Amino acid sequence: MALFKAEKKAPKGPAGLWDVVIGEDMCKACGFCLSVCPTDVFAYRTTANRLGWFPMYVAHEENCVGCNLCYQICPDFCIDVAPKDSAGAALAGPPGRR
Amino acid sequence: MNRLAAKYLRPSQIPTKACHGCGIGMIENWLLQAIDELGLKQEDVIFGTGIGCVGRQTFATWGGDNFGATHGRALAVATGLKLAQPHKKYLIVVGDGDAASIGTSHLVHAARRNLGVTVICEDNMGYESTGGQFSPTTPAGYVTNSSPYGMVEPGFDPCDVVQAAGATFVAETTATQWHQTVKIVKKALQNDGFSFVHVRFPCNENFGAYALGTRDTLKNLEWIYEHTQGRKTDGSESDFTWQTGIRHDASNSKPEFTSLLRSMNAKVRAKMAEEAKGR
Amino acid sequence: MATTVRIPVKDGLVAPWMDWERRCPDGRRLLEAGTYALTEGAIAAGCRVFAGYPITPATDIAEYMSRRLPQVNGYYMQCEDELAGMHACAGASLGGLKAMTATSGPGYTLMHDAYGWALTNEIPLVVVDAMRVGPISGITGAPGQGEFYVARYCTHGGNFETIVLSPSSVQEAFWLTIDAFNLSERFRTPVTILTDQVVSDMWEDLFIPGDYDALDFVVPRKHNLMMPFYPVGTAEIDVPPNLIGQGTGVCVSAYTHTEEGYDIEEMEAQWAQTYRLVNKVRHHRGELTRYEAMGLEDADVIAVAYGANARTVKTGVLEARRQGLRAGFVRPITLWPFIDELFERDAHYVVCELNYDGQLVREVQRAAPDKTKVHFMGKSAELHTVAEVVAGLEGVARRGRLPELPYIWTQVR
Repeated sequence: MALFKAEKKAPKGPAGLWDVVIGEDMCKACGFCLSVCPTDVFAYRTTANRLGWFPMYVAHEENCVGCNLCYQICPDFCIDVAPKDSAGAALAGPPGRR
Repeated sequence: MNRLAAKYLRPSQIPTKACHGCGIGMIENWLLQAIDELGLKQEDVIFGTGIGCVGRQTFATWGGDNFGATHGRALAVATGLKLAQPHKKYLIVVGDGDAASIGTSHLVHAARRNLGVTVICEDNMGYESTGGQFSPTTPAGYVTNSSPYGMVEPGFDPCDVVQAAGATFVAETTATQWHQTVKIVKKALQNDGFSFVHVRFPCNENFGAYALGTRDTLKNLEWIYEHTQGRKTDGSESDFTWQTGIRHDASNSKPEFTSLLRSMNAKVRAKMAEEAKGR
Repeated sequence: MATTVRIPVKDGLVAPWMDWERRCPDGRRLLEAGTYALTEGAIAAGCRVFAGYPITPATDIAEYMSRRLPQVNGYYMQCEDELAGMHACAGASLGGLKAMTATSGPGYTLMHDAYGWALTNEIPLVVVDAMRVGPISGITGAPGQGEFYVARYCTHGGNFETIVLSPSSVQEAFWLTIDAFNLSERFRTPVTILTDQVVSDMWEDLFIPGDYDALDFVVPRKHNLMMPFYPVGTAEIDVPPNLIGQGTGVCVSAYTHTEEGYDIEEMEAQWAQTYRLVNKVRHHRGELTRYEAMGLEDADVIAVAYGANARTVKTGVLEARRQGLRAGFVRPITLWPFIDELFERDAHYVVCELNYDGQLVREVQRAAPDKTKVHFMGKSAELHTVAEVVAGLEGVARRGRLPELPYIWTQVR
């Protein structure tokens, strides 16, 4: 058994129930979210961010089943997952430098 | 960034200095969840850190009051600070070097005194900030920058040390146990006494490169997972397994250190007042 | 940047406590030891935390504190070592309580790391080092003055100034401790009180004010709750210290830092931080001037000493004057920043120190106009006797050099 499963499953039930946001400016491309995701939500960008990494982006938000594994495993506070139309909707990036 | 980071962290320090795939940020994310689920505000919590990766990558990320002590001395500073500010929650986030090597004396005495702080000992099994030398928690036989022929020194688990010294809450988790870590940290924070949570996590740049032969973030986190579960990905047994979970929970069973001093003061001053009246 | 403060000097005792006794509404006279005076001075100044480790000859301070602090709702903590003790004092001070530790040489060297942390983060606290003969444990029960330079260079890395004071009597130890706390608050820095085994352990007449709350010369603890937490690039004093515990978001660390306190690895930041740490002391040397002097206008040979042996040296000077010599006396009370102006007169200087390797004498050589006229009378384990001092002053006045005296070291290199 492994933590990261290469095989992705198709999501069951209605699609598009979850908002998934990645702060691409903060991503260091560790690959954890893409590998731990049981369905197929993430993909790498082809242009680098200002940190010099090719960041992850939300390619197929409609595949998200809200398991929150990506939220738990991201080492850089980049990802937020929230039910669509919820009051606690996600934030896209660092709200300004102090 | 995620909503808890926006709520609690210092925006100018995010993204952190941590390497890509480093477990420090993951663990900090879980600490924020524990803090949030307990309903604590930023001003209720004080972060104290040390030197080294865990110290440096955590220091100043917390948006509230925080300190980064000299190497190994975070608990010594916390002992004085708790005297002056006894009603805050303290998260002392230190590495295996800070807690289990240079700072072990202060760790033992803080546990002995039952100082009301929660120590999160984030253990990457070596001195990774200085390039990857071995530490007292490096597994036997593993190759590091300063054990090129394999680690020969016997290691130890700091949990054994603090438990023997009298800590009232001791737990072990790893970087692949997010839900357990959040639950355990919540319990630890609710102990008005010395809590010690030992979280093992992967280092890709140094431990991964020299001890495990790869900087691949997925492979190194799998290595952590294998040694948490006791089984490798191919089904065979791993060379050793970490025991995880709550090892000792005597939360709130002994008086907290600074409360002992406050009680003593109250008694001394009451007696003085009586004697003054009597004269 | 180029601000050089000049201190005008004159004969007499120059120190803020000249009129403090007069300003106390009432008090008592006791026969007590220096350690008692140091303890009571701290409590009078508002000290509410002592964290340290027992060591001769400072142990009595720890014991007195353990008895007195609970009486004033303070905390005595006996730490596992001096390293922990000073770090705990820094933590307590950061949390809002005035704190002090007391040790001797072997403990003082363990405090270097903590000292640096308190210095760089501008944390007020007072450290008493009751020196004894060294190196290391040396002679446990004998006075020494081996930490003169160590007290100035009390941590590693450079880029800082320190404030070091030294009392030479039990009464002075009491007032000077209050002064040390005041300076630590005003300058936001740890202040070292360099005393020695004699001043610590001897018993003398001591006046103690009756009501500590009524002392109008104690600088109270105030807190700075807003940015900039560290006004780097400025040399202001009387900036209140920072506080952990009000949720101001202050950062305190071991690194070169920004105004907010987090670490930054830029040369400009190093300059700005150093500008503050060095110049807040250098630009305000006028606030730090404490000394005793005699004969600055007319002496041909001036004896220099501080701490316990200054007592016998001063008596020696008075005796030499009675015998007709134009002898003078300089007792720096502020050891650092060193008061160069006290040594501007073109006279002979006889520096009497309780060490054989020569420390104060090097600073006097540096400050005096003619270093060939600076003579060293080093002695270890016992105070200079009056006879030795008179013989030394006479030798230099009459023949331009010190006589051979047993167990008096005269070589500096």
